[in-house]
Amino acid sequence: MRLKRTIRQVFAIAKTDFLGIMRNKTAIFFTLLFPLFFLIIIGFTFGTQGTGETSSIQVGTVNLDGNMIDVNGTISQNSTIGDIFVQVLKEANFTVHEYDVYGDKDANSTAAYDISRGEIKIAVVLPVNFTETLSFQYTDSVGMPIPTRACLDLYTDPSDPTGSVIAQQSVLGFISGFIKSYQETAISQLPENLQDYAEVVADPITFSTSEADVSGRRLRWIDYMVPGILGLVLLWSGLNHASVSIATERTKGTFQRMVIAPVSPITVLAGKLVSSLAIVYISAIIMLASGLLLFQVTLYWNIPVIILAVFLGALSAIGIGLIISSIAKNEEAANSIAILISVPLQFFIGAFFPLDIMPKPAQIFGEALPFTKLVYAMQDIMTKNLPFEAIMPEIIYLTISGVILFVVGIIAYRLSLKRL
Amino acid sequence: MLICSWWKGETIHMNLNDIEIGAVTRRFKDMVAVDNVSMEVAKGALFGLLGPNGAGKSTLTKMLCGMINPTSGTIKVGGYNIQDNPMKVKELLGVVPQDIVLYDYMNARENLAFFGKLYGLSGGKLKSRIEELLKFTQLDEKTVKRHISTYSGGMKRRVNIAAALLHEPQVMLLDEPTAGLDPGNRLALWEIIQTLHKEGKTIVLTTHMMDEAEELSDQVAIMDKGKIIALGSPRQLIKKVKMENTITVVPNKITPKLLEAVKTVSGVKRSYKAYDEAEKIETIKIITETAEDILPEVVSCISSVGTKILSVQLSRVTLEDVFILLTGRRLVEEEEQL
Repeated sequence: MRLKRTIRQVFAIAKTDFLGIMRNKTAIFFTLLFPLFFLIIIGFTFGTQGTGETSSIQVGTVNLDGNMIDVNGTISQNSTIGDIFVQVLKEANFTVHEYDVYGDKDANSTAAYDISRGEIKIAVVLPVNFTETLSFQYTDSVGMPIPTRACLDLYTDPSDPTGSVIAQQSVLGFISGFIKSYQETAISQLPENLQDYAEVVADPITFSTSEADVSGRRLRWIDYMVPGILGLVLLWSGLNHASVSIATERTKGTFQRMVIAPVSPITVLAGKLVSSLAIVYISAIIMLASGLLLFQVTLYWNIPVIILAVFLGALSAIGIGLIISSIAKNEEAANSIAILISVPLQFFIGAFFPLDIMPKPAQIFGEALPFTKLVYAMQDIMTKNLPFEAIMPEIIYLTISGVILFVVGIIAYRLSLKRL
Repeated sequence: MLICSWWKGETIHMNLNDIEIGAVTRRFKDMVAVDNVSMEVAKGALFGLLGPNGAGKSTLTKMLCGMINPTSGTIKVGGYNIQDNPMKVKELLGVVPQDIVLYDYMNARENLAFFGKLYGLSGGKLKSRIEELLKFTQLDEKTVKRHISTYSGGMKRRVNIAAALLHEPQVMLLDEPTAGLDPGNRLALWEIIQTLHKEGKTIVLTTHMMDEAEELSDQVAIMDKGKIIALGSPRQLIKKVKMENTITVVPNKITPKLLEAVKTVSGVKRSYKAYDEAEKIETIKIITETAEDILPEVVSCISSVGTKILSVQLSRVTLEDVFILLTGRRLVEEEEQL
């Protein structure tokens, strides 16, 4: 009888808490949809990387190769190889903008003008003698070819270092491929007995790179990002909600009214835990469903393990939330502290950016966070399709941190009751 | 406490008091908020707990409803010690907080259902209790379905009280229930409190409004600086003040015959002609102990000698005067300073 009554009280508190979110548009956004907002922005910006897409790279070409030039005292006007270069560049799926001159940043319709306005990330200037040099048309007085190199000028946008580096690396990769193709053509015209030597001299070291098979299929960044978003869900739906929920009730006095009813403080806490978990799981479902629909990610579904890992991670988040709500004087203070903690933390949990690119102290800090462990566990389970045993270290870490933080949260909550 | 022997030999404890506070002290670090307070509230009494802000009323109320524990002393509600049986005491109590403590994103029915479940109500009993109390709140069905945030102050106040009545408590604690209300709503709430009193509930009303305590309470305790400085019925406390009530009459003319006639009215200790400097008019001052009781006779006496009454002013001793007498300070001034 007593248990039945307590269960009813727990669910009444949970339902009331849940309605508080569902009937408040701002709360819905910050508690349930904010991680989705992040997923969409970052997913569409970086998520497709790993597929070799180059169509998004805007390249400008200034092909001077067709201009007239004096070669061996004769006027030459040959643009054959320059035209091939531009054509192959287009076929390599770069978005190519063609210009007559490089120009300067104030002259309209020039490559420099478009770089300065961010229209293109890189401009490739083909020299006027591009075809003449590559086809050995420069000769000495006795008609022997003079070895002459063709020099391409590359200009990048200094105002966007990241975009420029990506564009530059991609174009250099293309040039490398173009040179290789040229070498093969040139070497094939040598006497047969020299061809093998020439190939080695032209290309003394070869190497190959390929992605290791981690999931039986080719992965994109977004494939890791979608399961990783569950870490963000814990921060925004779990930590934030738990911090603000009790603090709000304390500010409005409804918490005091619950305490003066024949309801034990632990029953109140249990009600809050149930609603927080419900919000975390709903948010998680929204995030995963959005990932599937918006980015067509293919995930592996070990549902019991996912539920368990999210539950353990949520204990840590709710524990921190309880600590925040206990030390905060009111709703606004709790909200501010929660944002102060969750906003920076979301960049250290490895959900969007790998921790490896961060300085060592940041890596150590990020690795210590339970949310990072959840991200790793979810990526291992949902992206790489690893078995449960593979994520045991993460599960153990999540269990220990979850229990510790939740117990500390309960202690802080009990102490805060004295301030009523 | 009476101990009655039942015919089977069982013993039941019959308590004449619903609240018994014995030598209760509450300290917050070095500050003593409630200092060795003892008092009893009889079953069915309407008990006014009066005092300025910081007097210790809120701390005493919080201890009564189990929000905080006393540093020393005992509190019993319905015969149960609150520290030994907190849940039992909470079931006996219905607490109406000073502020509107409701979920503004839920409607009246949802709020009552929530608080009902906290008190262990469910199913048909909860539903019928909610419907009864919705009638008590006088809200129409259309309003009931709207969120509390759209209600007027008076509507919210009534739902706030209804939420405390769901489990039919034996004892009610009303913390400054009329604070911030306009005169009309204040009177309406007084009526509700009197109705609950007539239903036999024991009511503890904390207030800093002397007229409210005087009008509603059977018994009053005046608190100051953590101590109870006066305890008794309003009439008893007022009698302690050796001050007299005055009826000031402004007639159209004052004649010796009129002055003589007034003196003959039973209960008049003395009367005299006076001059009101502020109004620049002549008045008759009648000194008495029972101003309200003799007023009709004074009016009829003045009329009988052919004099018209232009105005009558009655100034009587109030609990405010009791507070001034006991502390040397005015309660209202303290409120303003705070």
